[in-house]
Amino acid sequence: MISSMIPGLWMIIASILLPVIPSYFRQPAMLLSVFLSSLSLLNGFGTFLTWEILGFDLTLYHSDNLTLPFAIIFHIASLLVIIYGWHNKNLMENMATLAYAGSAIGALHAGDFFSLFIWWEATALTSVFIVLAGNTISARNSAMRYLIIQVCSGVLLLIGASMMVYQTGNHELTKLDLSSNFGVFIFLAFGIKAAFPFLNGWLQDSYPESSPTGTVALSAFTTKLAIYALARTFPGTETLIWIGAIMTAFPVFFAVIENDLRRVLSFSLNNQLGFMVVGIGIGTELSLNGTVAHAFVHIIYKALLFMSMGAVLHRVGTTKASELGGLYKYMPLTTIFCIIGAMSISAFPLFSGFVAKSLIMSALGGQGLILIYFVLFFASAGVLEHSGIKIPYFAFFAHERKTKVKEAPLNMLIAMGVAAFLCIGIGVYPKYLYSILPYSVDYQPYTIDHVISQLQLLVFAILAFLFLVKFKLYPSEIKSTVLNSDWIYRKMLPGIGKPLFQNLQKIIIKFYDLLSILFDLILGRSKKFANSSYIKVTTPGFAGLLMITILFIMLVIAVI
Amino acid sequence: MKNNNLKTYAKYFTQFIIAVAGLLLIIDFTIHRHAYFHLEEIIGFPAMFGFICFVFIVIVGKHLRKILMRKEDYYDK
Repeated sequence: MISSMIPGLWMIIASILLPVIPSYFRQPAMLLSVFLSSLSLLNGFGTFLTWEILGFDLTLYHSDNLTLPFAIIFHIASLLVIIYGWHNKNLMENMATLAYAGSAIGALHAGDFFSLFIWWEATALTSVFIVLAGNTISARNSAMRYLIIQVCSGVLLLIGASMMVYQTGNHELTKLDLSSNFGVFIFLAFGIKAAFPFLNGWLQDSYPESSPTGTVALSAFTTKLAIYALARTFPGTETLIWIGAIMTAFPVFFAVIENDLRRVLSFSLNNQLGFMVVGIGIGTELSLNGTVAHAFVHIIYKALLFMSMGAVLHRVGTTKASELGGLYKYMPLTTIFCIIGAMSISAFPLFSGFVAKSLIMSALGGQGLILIYFVLFFASAGVLEHSGIKIPYFAFFAHERKTKVKEAPLNMLIAMGVAAFLCIGIGVYPKYLYSILPYSVDYQPYTIDHVISQLQLLVFAILAFLFLVKFKLYPSEIKSTVLNSDWIYRKMLPGIGKPLFQNLQKIIIKFYDLLSILFDLILGRSKKFANSSYIKVTTPGFAGLLMITILFIMLVIAVI
Repeated sequence: MKNNNLKTYAKYFTQFIIAVAGLLLIIDFTIHRHAYFHLEEIIGFPAMFGFICFVFIVIVGKHLRKILMRKEDYYDK
């Protein structure tokens, strides 16, 4: 009975019950709900729940080899988020987090586009409260922009799904392509949440505005849900290879100059999504395995990095690189965990990033896509730059720190410890990860060729960093705002729109002025006319004559 | 001594990285790496690539500041 429920639904129920649970039992109750939800994963593959409504068959609970790895990692991420936020007494944030994670897990098990749409919107509506819980004016403004963009994505999905039903009579979650118009709508809907180039502004805008715990939750679900949806509906779409390659490369440059380290991590998140999108675009069994493996390990190490920066924010009150440095002395454990996360994302051998990224690189090499291969190789050096070096360096080293800071709270350390353990565990024993991937793999990441090649890339890139620092060529951190694609709707469109509307308003006012002048003119004339001899009280004879004359004139005109 | 901790660590770290880098190049001379593209099989290619990419990213980033960087309260105005 417990396990026949849609995965994630227990978490949403618990989230609704949370206000009536005494505050000491809230976190345990949240953990319990994740545990109950995870029991559904033991059900195996198949369709377990359908619902017929208004002539539609909604597949509410479907599970197969693609949903399982995502469902496992979403449950693990939920556990990490709850442990990390154990101290958090903000009821709204706790409710939103649990419901958000539950909705994302529910979305994975939707078997048709309409059920997916419901969960898709549910993740948007719940996560906006997490951004709001940042509890600053800029967080509130950011949350409103976030909501608009997320709902746009949902509306596009609904339009696409409706057109699909109208044109094909089918609404199952199957493979689509871009030759159909509904395919394009659905592709865009997924693209917004997957933070495609130019559709990515919301990510770097909102994630760093949330609370220390909120960002960890946000980083895990929305974008990876989009990756899952793309992997299900658009595998092998060549456009995705190019989009993905651009996604890996361009955020690298933004991350170099960004000052807020949590925003740097958001750019880095964008770059990591690029690797997964490339994997989907290639569409072979090896590359799709690579995408899923990468999403799996990425959720853990990205959460770990966000957790370490959250701990810094919690203790110091800022994550601006220009105000940090030297924390290694006061937060040694956080420093070690952050470095483990940094080495994982940089794909050092024996860390989780390596065993996942190798799959995608091998798939690219196997297909002979040389240009994309080297773009991703370049992006790997970029990952090392912003996540591997910049984050730990500016937060924990850079220079000595004068004021004392306490180490992170125990619950944060436990969550980071578990994540760090998983990063190394998966890196050393990749076979457990490989065993849950969608297709059976016979892949060996630890060949001497792979290891030496990757180590050369990373070690010489570190050498480049040391060289640049030594000769004072490495740019120092400056308090600043870095323009991103959200600039389009935050500055450019208002910049064009405001004068346009103001002028339009002026024109309308002028038009009304003109109308009133005209009206006065007509009124004045008619008043004058009213006082003239034609309108005055007349004898019946005169009026009759006048009418006959007018009728006669009309008759003549009509005859002519 | 107390204030020089970070500098000492940095020195050790630099020495360590240079040693590893040297070792990797020596290994590269002794074995033949197999890769998907011949370019990557050239001795020391990934090393060169990593070094150049890193410098390139930082330099380009530095210049991008001229275009993309605004004051911290840019959006609040």
